Amino acid sequence: MSLLQVRDVTRRFGGLVAVDDVSFDVHEGQIKAIIGPNGAGKTTLFNVVTAFDRPDGGTVTFDGVDLTGSRPHRIVSSGIARTFQNTQLFDEMTARENVMAGAHAVTKAGFLATALRLPWTVREEREVAKEAGRLIRLVGLDEWEDVPAADMPHGLRRLLEIARALASRPRMLLLDEPAAGLNTAETTALGEALYRIRDEGATIVIVEHDMGLVMEVSDEIVVLDQGRKIAEGPPRLIQKDPSVIAAYLGEEDVDEL
Amino acid sequence: MRERIDMRLVVAAVLGLTVVAAVAGLPFFTSERYILRVFTFAGVNVIIITGMALLFGYAGQVSLGHAAFFGVGAYASAFVVTQLGWPWIGGVIVAIVLTATGGLLLALPSLRLKGHYLAMATLAFGEIMRVVFTEARTVTGGPDGLSGIPYPSLGPLAFDSASASYWLVWAVAGITLLLAANLVRSRAGRAMRALHGSELGATACGIDITGIKVRVFVISASFAGLAGALYAHVVGFISPSTFSLHVSVLLVAMAVLGGTSSLLGPVIAAVLLTLIPFSDAVIPGLSRSALETIQEWQEDIYGLTIIAVMIFMPGGIGGLLRRIGTGRSAER
Amino acid sequence: MGGVELLQFALAGLKNGAIYALVALGFTIVYASTGVINFAQGEFYMLGGMLSVWAYADLGLPLPLAAVVGVMTTAVVGAVFELLAIRPRKDGNPLALIIITVGGSMVLSSSARHLFGPLERALPSFSGTGTVSILGAALEIQSIWILGLTALAVASLWYLYNRTSLGRAMRACAVDRNAARLVGIDTRRVVTVSFLLAAALGALAGLAVTPLTQTAFNVGPSVGIKGFAAAILGGLGNPIAAVAGGLVLGMLESMSIAFISSTYKDAIALIVLLSVLFWRPQGLFGRSGREKV
Repeated sequence: MSLLQVRDVTRRFGGLVAVDDVSFDVHEGQIKAIIGPNGAGKTTLFNVVTAFDRPDGGTVTFDGVDLTGSRPHRIVSSGIARTFQNTQLFDEMTARENVMAGAHAVTKAGFLATALRLPWTVREEREVAKEAGRLIRLVGLDEWEDVPAADMPHGLRRLLEIARALASRPRMLLLDEPAAGLNTAETTALGEALYRIRDEGATIVIVEHDMGLVMEVSDEIVVLDQGRKIAEGPPRLIQKDPSVIAAYLGEEDVDEL
Repeated sequence: MRERIDMRLVVAAVLGLTVVAAVAGLPFFTSERYILRVFTFAGVNVIIITGMALLFGYAGQVSLGHAAFFGVGAYASAFVVTQLGWPWIGGVIVAIVLTATGGLLLALPSLRLKGHYLAMATLAFGEIMRVVFTEARTVTGGPDGLSGIPYPSLGPLAFDSASASYWLVWAVAGITLLLAANLVRSRAGRAMRALHGSELGATACGIDITGIKVRVFVISASFAGLAGALYAHVVGFISPSTFSLHVSVLLVAMAVLGGTSSLLGPVIAAVLLTLIPFSDAVIPGLSRSALETIQEWQEDIYGLTIIAVMIFMPGGIGGLLRRIGTGRSAER
Repeated sequence: MGGVELLQFALAGLKNGAIYALVALGFTIVYASTGVINFAQGEFYMLGGMLSVWAYADLGLPLPLAAVVGVMTTAVVGAVFELLAIRPRKDGNPLALIIITVGGSMVLSSSARHLFGPLERALPSFSGTGTVSILGAALEIQSIWILGLTALAVASLWYLYNRTSLGRAMRACAVDRNAARLVGIDTRRVVTVSFLLAAALGALAGLAVTPLTQTAFNVGPSVGIKGFAAAILGGLGNPIAAVAGGLVLGMLESMSIAFISSTYKDAIALIVLLSVLFWRPQGLFGRSGREKV
């Protein structure tokens, strides 16, 4: 059985149907991309899958558990972590503290235990700090560990947000346009980081505009247009799909396809 | 790099020990009741402001009703000790339990909603309690208040002198500060700072933002209750005016001036603003008329402080200290 | 309780309700253009009364002129407060602005004490101290002034909102500030005007009520809270609902005195406020779909 099952998901905003009856599966260990022209409903779909938004119809099932109607902060404990199109880092906190905050769902120390500084909380804290250091190296931010997130360049902030998402030890990682605003070198570094992350066992779903990156890293692609799924398959087939080409006609990305 | 951090730690440790020694040693330098009394008030405010610092500076919420929690703690403890004959520690426990429960009941519905609802709900709560303090005469003594509240005592240990109650208040302040410092440097503290930084990001980390805000509010309410249980017994007299909206706003001024993501800043602010109307306690030889002028203008000082800090240094004293600490020239 | 007595309470409720409605309108106008609860709103009420007393008793102006001076000066104070304390906080963070208005409230009431002293001050009734009899219940003539001035203010506001370009700009800002800016509306001017109007409305209430109750530097916060309760009761952001909220609150208070007791009459508004915040944050007349986190 697939890890993530999206079935007949629909989301309306007033009269606008942002996501229209979309279904697809994500299998364990895959890198799956969701692409489509602007306004195709990618981010809305993403928000529904991570329970930041509720669908008007359809279900989202992760590892056999129905997530529809969950509260968003609970999704993390079921093994799904995400990033945002506009990075949502904690600016006043250092890179390491950001990643440590990402481990919230997999650690236990509560208010009373930490206020009393019980020995096990100190141990847990040490382990979280160590793991945060490792994840920061995994995405290649070694030199930025003690720098407040606010002082980091844009491209590196995206990597930091990925490291933070990884800190919850997700089985599936959802990245919302991770390459937006990155230069070529940064995009290459991002692609490499994605492979390293998958090799560690995470499944990745990625919403992305950068076709080069999508074609390079993804195993399978779902194409959305005006809220509907118009194609699904491996990159090579998607590139030739006439309906996809038609949907992108007039979009600048068509050249890159 | 490593060495500089160590040096900073050493400097901080030396400074910290000096401050602790100075606070603990004050009764040896002066035996004047007035001075000790003023610094005891400052200690009581430090206890309240420690909770407010968690609420405002870490969780980004504002309460306009903390004087009411302070009052509930004070009246509750005074009532069970004088009317029911309980020991003081029983009064402290009742004060904490009552204020924590009240905080929970107030926070649960208002924190599900966006930003300013908590401020409004706490404001209304504070005013309701003011009416209750004034009208529930059998418990509170009405507008005249309660007097003859006995000194705090723990078993045979009675804190019945100015210096003893000073030490008691500051020892409790030290403990609450220690608990709060542990809290902010841990998973729970990170969660608070995270939701202040970005609620979306915090949610994506699995942080239950409403749950955290409610917990922080309950903590801050119970710290105010604890402070009330100390205040009532140390001073021996309480009346509704000690717990008015005016005092809630003064507490907001302390929290705002103290700044965000800091405990030290709010503590400094609390002591500074407490001392303003009692300037003659710290400035020897301050003339009577100068003191009266200061008292005449204290409201303006508090109000202008709030406005100026929010406009010109939103990080408050805490932000200032951080900048000195990290050597960064500007916040951003 | 007899019918006449009940009517007497109802008339008192109507009069107080009209005052709350004016103050609530002030909250609503500022909230609509900034998203901020203006804590200093009650101080505008206080200044309206105090400045009119000052113009009448200290400057010796005739009462109608003194009233105009009191309201206009307060309106200017409101605009200046916005320019000096609200506008400089560039990011417009509502919580920060709310805190600033808390500070402003302190400064305004304290300034009034410095300028006009700590004592209660009075103003003569606008046209005699007599009463008129309505079905056996007595109504002070000053109360008729209060109701009339409230009606006039509401009508002028309606005209402003619906018939002038400034009013249209204000309505656009209330719907969506960013969109309003994009279509070329000077949103900063709208904010300043909102504070000016809110101050004028508060001042009008304070002026009209002073002949009945006297005024002092410290009357602001308690009236402010009641006006805010009325605004919340109606549903923040809608002027008509704010007026309705004010009248409902005035009636509720009056009836609670009539049927329960007067001991906790000041708590009624607050309990209403808390209840609405907890159970119906969009207000009695607001659209449903509450703002969740």
